[in-house]
This record gives sequence, structure tokens and C-alpha cells, in this order.
Amino acid sequence: MAHYDYVEKAVNVSRREFLQIIGVAGAVMWTGVYVATDLVQDRTKYIKMRAQGIYKDDLKAKVRQSHNNPALNEMYNKFAQKPLSPLAEELFHTRYVDRTKLG
Amino acid sequence: MRGFQRQELSRIIEIDRKKCKGCDSCKVFCPTDAIDGKYGTVHRIDSYKCVFCGQCLVNCPFGAPTDVVDPVDQIIEKLNDKKVTVVAAIAPAVRVAIGEEFGMEPGRLLTEKLYGAMKEAGFKVFDINYAADHTIMEEGSELLAKIRHYMLGEPTEHHLGALPQFTSCCPAWVRYVELNYPQIIPNLSSAKSPMMMAGSLAKTYGSTEVWHVKPEDIYVVGVMPCTAKKFECSRPEFDSASQYWEKQGHKALYPDVDSNLTTRDLARLFKKLNINFNTSYDFADGDNPLAQYSGAGTIFGNTGGVMEAALRTAYFLITGNELENLEFTPVRGLKGIKEAALTMKDNKTGKDLTLKVAVVHGIKENAVPLIEQVVAGNSPYHFIEVMNCPGGCVNGGGQPIHAMGTSWVDKWKAMLPWS
Repeated sequence: MAHYDYVEKAVNVSRREFLQIIGVAGAVMWTGVYVATDLVQDRTKYIKMRAQGIYKDDLKAKVRQSHNNPALNEMYNKFAQKPLSPLAEELFHTRYVDRTKLG
Repeated sequence: MRGFQRQELSRIIEIDRKKCKGCDSCKVFCPTDAIDGKYGTVHRIDSYKCVFCGQCLVNCPFGAPTDVVDPVDQIIEKLNDKKVTVVAAIAPAVRVAIGEEFGMEPGRLLTEKLYGAMKEAGFKVFDINYAADHTIMEEGSELLAKIRHYMLGEPTEHHLGALPQFTSCCPAWVRYVELNYPQIIPNLSSAKSPMMMAGSLAKTYGSTEVWHVKPEDIYVVGVMPCTAKKFECSRPEFDSASQYWEKQGHKALYPDVDSNLTTRDLARLFKKLNINFNTSYDFADGDNPLAQYSGAGTIFGNTGGVMEAALRTAYFLITGNELENLEFTPVRGLKGIKEAALTMKDNKTGKDLTLKVAVVHGIKENAVPLIEQVVAGNSPYHFIEVMNCPGGCVNGGGQPIHAMGTSWVDKWKAMLPWS
């Protein structure tokens, strides 16, 4: 008959010690979760911060509509006449290619 | 080569074999499923499917995808050549991100500082914000002509495409359409992107009215938050300035935009020229007509920005009055598909018309459903803005890289090992 040598408790942990260990383990776990969610947030913060910078540029601009840009209107007067004029069509418009038919 | 015109760049982004760990992160961000390779093996990019947006590049945790087109030395050579006028066409999104390369906080608006550093390096400035205003005039007038013709039944003298009209500013989006949905090409606005308008304008109007130099001595460098712009500027059809001069008897062949720097490339160029961006002086460039821009031009860098700018002008062109509240908030923010409707009274006919618009960013998740509607012929919209990168150009593939990646909009699932 096999002989079993069985020890009831390898480590003696009192109720108070058990609570302490669980407390520390929980804190470590929650810090991990907290950091991980922060990281995911961080990953879109660059977009938001840069977008804010651009909207700030819009707010401080003296002229806020394209058709009121004086330098642009001067260019049309001196050079391209008006949007969609023959010269504008030639210089400022393009065509596209069906790439499924290429090579 | 399959899917490419002659002389177009076909390799812009390549995955470094030594750095790739085969973690599949890039596949989550790739809008066209252009990345091949099994989990755990070295990945490679299929250049036929690739639209060169660079989203894999800014989001790879190991920095494996790299931009292999490096024009920095060539541009420095041009800057040292006294005969050449080097014009930098600076995109809106560059001014809020370039500071990050020099240790400043993200989103800091640095227009004057950037102009100053550009001047120090020897560039003339052509602000793309001006070209964006220009794009709005051309693209908005095109939309208006379509509305007048198709919705109000007026005759037209222009050769018009179809409604809904898609924006055509994003080169990755344009290539995506050309590759995958050629049947909606008539819906793309025929207007060039702001960079390309800037190129042809610099070598015609800029040459005679602003810098007073020969067009062949102007070297236009696009400064973009974008890797796909490198592809766009290699497209052979963009030589309108050269053709314009040829009709007037000058014979010289040159592209509208000669070269292209990303925000990262520009930072490297400054460092190579020993320009300390942190201490460079502010320069307003007030006398330069091509650096005057409106608020509508600058918001082009954000998702929804092109639409907002277009609505401000379309409203004026249709009603004859200015829009009262300029901040059109329904098109702002990071929601995947944003919709809005604007009712206005047509000045000419006195009829009421409702302009229905949609804004999407991220092709794979958000644009495809709208394209399918257009293909099926039941799209409720008149005007649709598409930007390939999540958040718009501010988060483009040419922007400063942060080790944790920048475009995790709705992509947190990519962290789960089974996705």
C-alpha cells in the first residue's frame, strides 16, 4: 500500500494576511486595466489635438470663406477669369484613369 | 505594370524584413487589404492594391513599414542652385504637426514659425490653404453647375459628371476608386487636388505675376502630411503648366509638382540644414498673395473640413447671402459617417432646395457602404467627402510617428489576440 505524506497547509496564511495579498493583487490588476484604457485613449489624442489646432487657425482667420479670399479673387480677375472658365478647366481640372484596364 | 501608368511610382512604402514581427497590426489599418503574409511571418505589400496612404507606417508597433522615397538631398541641391526658385506648397495639416518632430506638444499651430524656417532654408512659400480656397471655388462651382442642371433642370455649357459628387482631394481615395470602382469615376469631382492646383498655378500665374521667373526655373515641392501625395505627383497627366506654355510657343517639359516632402521629411531637411526649428523666427509673409488664405482653406486638413468649407461657399453661391453660423458642427468630429442637410432658397429661381451631404473617413469601414449606394443608384446624397485616413489629413501617413500609433478610432479590437 502506497504511503501518502500529506501536509495540510504548505504556507500558513492568516485571514488578515490573505486579505492583504488579495488587496495588493487587486491593485496591480486595476492599475493594468487603467493604464491599458489610457493607452487606447492616447492613440486618438493626436488626431484630436491636431484637429483642434486647425480649428483654432479657422477661428482666428480674418476671412473665413473661400469666396472672400481677396488674393484668390485677384488671381481670378487677373488670370483665370472665373471658376470653370476654359482656362480654369485646362489648368485646374483633371481626368481619371480606369486602372483595372492598365497593363 | 499592372494598375500603373507609365512613370508612376509603384513602390513608396516597403516593409523592412528585419523589423517585421508578423504581428498583423498593419492589416487592421490597411484600407485595401494590400498586406500579404501569414501571422508570425514577415509581411509584404502588394503594390497593385496599395494606395500608399501610409496608415500601416504610422501605426506599426515595430516601425517596420518605411517610406522609401527620399527626396531630401535632391531638394537641398535645388535650394543651393541660385538659378532655381524652389517653391514649397505647404499643406494645412503640416503646421499643426511639425512641432512634434522638435519636441513640441501635438496640435500646436505654427504657421509663422514654419514660414520663418522655410525662408531660412531658402524656399518661397505657396500656402496650400490658398490652393484649398481655390479648390473650393472650382469644386463648389462644379457642384453648383450639377445642381442647377440635374436638380433645377437648367441647361449647361459644361461637360458635367454625375451626382452625387465625391471630393477628389485625397490621392489615396482617387487611386482606390480607379482600382476598385471605375464605374463611379464620373462621380469624382474633376477638380484637381489643392496640391496639383498649386503646382499648375505656381508655374503660370506665380511665374508671371508673383516671382517673375521663367516657369522652367520654378521647382515646386509639395510639403504634405501624406505619403500618397508622392504617388500623385508622379502621375503623368499633371503637366498642365507645361502644356499651357507650349501653346504659347515656349518649349520645355516639366511636371506641375516636381517633388514631395512629408512632414517627417521636412523635419529631416531642417535638421540637415542645421535649422533649429525651436528657435527660428516668425515670419508672416504678408506681401505674398499666395500665402493669403481663409479659415475655410485651413480646415481642409480635418475630416469634414472640405465639406464645411464647401458649404460656406455653396450657400453663398446659391442664396447670395453668407451662412450665419459658420461652424457647421454636424460634419465635425470622429464619427465614421457624418450626414447633414442644408435647406436654402435659390437666388435665381426662388425655389427651395435641400443639399444633402455626407462625410466619411476610413475607406474600408465607412466609404464602401456609401459607394455601394451610388453604384446601386439609390444614394440620397448630393456631395460626399472622402478622406482615406482616420481623422483626415492631420493623421496622414506622412505625419510624425508615435510609437503607440495614432489612428485607433474604433480599432481597439485590434488589441485582442483573436481579431
